Amino acid sequence: MSFCLDTYLQQSDNYEIHASKAGFKDCAMIIRFKADDLVYIKPGDEVLGVRVIGIPPIPIGFDHKKGTVFLPYTKPCHGTSVVELPIDEEEVEKIRKLDTGK
Amino acid sequence: MKALVLLGCPETPSQTPMAVYVFSKLTKMGYDVVIAANPAAAKLVKISDPEELYNLCIVDLERTLGEIKQGDYDLLVGFVHKDAAASFFVTFEQILQCRSLALVFSRDADEVEEFVNLIDESGSNALIAAVRAFHNPSPIKVKFDRAIKEFE
Repeated sequence: MSFCLDTYLQQSDNYEIHASKAGFKDCAMIIRFKADDLVYIKPGDEVLGVRVIGIPPIPIGFDHKKGTVFLPYTKPCHGTSVVELPIDEEEVEKIRKLDTGK
Repeated sequence: MKALVLLGCPETPSQTPMAVYVFSKLTKMGYDVVIAANPAAAKLVKISDPEELYNLCIVDLERTLGEIKQGDYDLLVGFVHKDAAASFFVTFEQILQCRSLALVFSRDADEVEEFVNLIDESGSNALIAAVRAFHNPSPIKVKFDRAIKEFE
């Protein structure tokens, strides 16, 4: 079964929230600040089993030492959060293929 | 012709009557209309039509986001009164690649400007109808009526 971010966030505590109930631009800035490697994707591109919501270009960050990914996570009533969670190399490569380069 | 109407967070009072109004107007224009909303916003709309006079078609916002693809709809209308609603609107528009109308409103004029800029800067091709409004739906209705003529 493939990974699903929504299910993971409900069933695991192995993740960190760096910002919550924030605006998208603030969250994008936090991702750019915290990550040591970035790719930019389009709204609606699928990452970890969910379509990412946001204003393009959407940054997805990596911390390669920790083996984690930073991504924006938006809910209608709760705004956007920055979630950091573990990721394996196979998923990192899938995300790299979505890179728009800006 | 199919139209998708996106509702935002249900906190703003004017969204629910405007959702029914937009549904009715677009239906009269010949569209098959689907409203996508989170559970709370959906309940507000559904309970507003107890006799089911409008035959409202309401679907779950996040499930719909996971299922839609380019070409599924001919028109997207989005209620944008929060930062998150702007993000949802831009994302749906990017996936659907159809004609689109953003109804931007807030009680705060600075927020109206901020949400308009967010949509503009995203490279969206949407027509944006923006107005300061919160409790009273009339200013949004006036803006919508004027803007929707572009899609007739």
